[in-house]
Amino acid sequence: MKDTLHLMAVYTKTTAKAWFQYRVDAVLRSLAVFLREATGIIVIWFTLLKFDTLKGWDIYEMLFLFSLLFLTYGIMIIFFTGLRDFGKTVRDGSFDRFILRPRGLLFQIIFVNSDWFAAIGHGGLGLVLFLLSAGKVGIQWDLFNALYYILTVAGGVLIQGAVFLFLAALNIYLLQTESLKEMLYWNMRKFAGYPISIFNKFIQIIMIYVMPFAFVNYFPAQFLLRKSDMAEYPELYLYLTPIIGIVMYLAAYCFWRFSIRFYKSSGN
Amino acid sequence: MSYIEVKNISKTFRVSKRRSGIPGMLANLVVPKYEKREAVKNISFSIGQGEMVGFIGPNGAGKSTTIKMLSGILFPDSGEITCSGVIPYKQRKNYVGRIGVVFGQKSQLQWDLPVIDSFELLKAIYRIPDDVYKKNLGRFTEMLDMSGFINQPVRQLSLGQRMRSDIAAALLHSPETVFFDEPTIGVDVVGKEAIRSFIRELNAQDNMTMIFTTHDMQDIEKTCNRVIIIDKGSKVYDGALSDIREHYGSSRSLDVEFMTDTETAPIAGVETENIDARHKRFIFGKDVHINDLMSLLLQNYSVRDINISEPDIESIIRKIYSGEGAA
Repeated sequence: MKDTLHLMAVYTKTTAKAWFQYRVDAVLRSLAVFLREATGIIVIWFTLLKFDTLKGWDIYEMLFLFSLLFLTYGIMIIFFTGLRDFGKTVRDGSFDRFILRPRGLLFQIIFVNSDWFAAIGHGGLGLVLFLLSAGKVGIQWDLFNALYYILTVAGGVLIQGAVFLFLAALNIYLLQTESLKEMLYWNMRKFAGYPISIFNKFIQIIMIYVMPFAFVNYFPAQFLLRKSDMAEYPELYLYLTPIIGIVMYLAAYCFWRFSIRFYKSSGN
Repeated sequence: MSYIEVKNISKTFRVSKRRSGIPGMLANLVVPKYEKREAVKNISFSIGQGEMVGFIGPNGAGKSTTIKMLSGILFPDSGEITCSGVIPYKQRKNYVGRIGVVFGQKSQLQWDLPVIDSFELLKAIYRIPDDVYKKNLGRFTEMLDMSGFINQPVRQLSLGQRMRSDIAAALLHSPETVFFDEPTIGVDVVGKEAIRSFIRELNAQDNMTMIFTTHDMQDIEKTCNRVIIIDKGSKVYDGALSDIREHYGSSRSLDVEFMTDTETAPIAGVETENIDARHKRFIFGKDVHINDLMSLLLQNYSVRDINISEPDIESIIRKIYSGEGAA
């Protein structure tokens, strides 16, 4: 255990050192990610200035909804960069090197690289949105709600991590799953910025049961905000985020363990 | 006593068969067709501890696949591999901690960081004790003459420097067995020589078992005492390098320069080739004694210079690859 923590520290130090080799670029890229994502928010801001509310959600409540999405992604990407880029790792044969080292494969993939640009860009935006909205949406920040918030963020991180892990495992068979990720993850994520109740049934079903972004931000936000549109969904859903996170992650992990046996390295 | 034992291993890959043209591409998309390619067919051998063995064969012969199975990256479809009692692909973590692998074409160093940072990372990954790490680092730095660039980022190194660093990186944890996959590729003549002498020295000092794959026959001639030739997935030769000549190199040649323009009478068992009016090449097999041939020539003609050439290994190997090899 001590030894594992030590290795994690050395990996992190190495990543950070490599990062600081290009200081200016590091700052600019984080900023670029931040601005790219913020643009979308600014558009919504001005749209809502015209309409006031969206199915009862005002602008600050919407920002709170968004903040969960960005915060969880920012935290998730610190740990799952290696899985996000796993297709490349398999294609260029670097995965062989992981196999040749006496450490857990998933452990190495997770700690060998962290995309701090994305982490700071997304996480930073999430934090800014949280600070902008948290005081204005009428949430009592007592111990219970704070604890709920922390658990639910952890659940949201696991849900998205599970999707990345699942897609990474799929890479072993398909070599490339970028388009699938684009379709399943990034497209669905665009819907997740809004209260899902504004969409038609089909999209709602996907958001709840297929690519469960609803549990990353909609239901947790509902727990804290209690908007009227929650009446359309079972009360139970407010509490499921951490459980769904754990279950999805375990399922993805089992699929990963199963798939890794089929790995055939690229010839050279 | 054999250290690495390989018994009847085979490996088949399923490769998608590409059809040509746009209709073919569409057809591939809808009904992909696969064909089986046997990369390795029923290969067996055993290697003793401290041996230096070279694997050679043309591209696509199955050497890489064999090495990947030996190093635990791939599972064989059938057959067995044991290495000092461990099954590589079943006890991965246990096994890979005891081997080192150098891929000449693929560095394991951190591109943007000084060489020493990659070494420190490997120390943590392999749990190398401080004293072992210090001892090995000091030794390799000196033997491979790395002190001048060990604090430079890898991206600034020459290919030769990078390769030396990569070799040191694979050896820091004192592995029992080391696999070298093209360890001198792209390196200049001096650099190649430095790498080869380091490898020889290390083998002598530490009794490491070393396995090479390379296309550079010089690498093999200067380091290995044994070669295994693989072609089309099968083992076609396994033995001492020097014996290859006896096995395959049946013909030697004698280049003769005469004092004047000379026509020679045909000699039994010897093939004569005219290079120019005064130069001739006599090619002969094992049944002709070189003594007899030389005295015959010296007695009958006035000779200015004689040069005997053994068939070089490379041309013999070429023959074996192209299927002309007759034992």
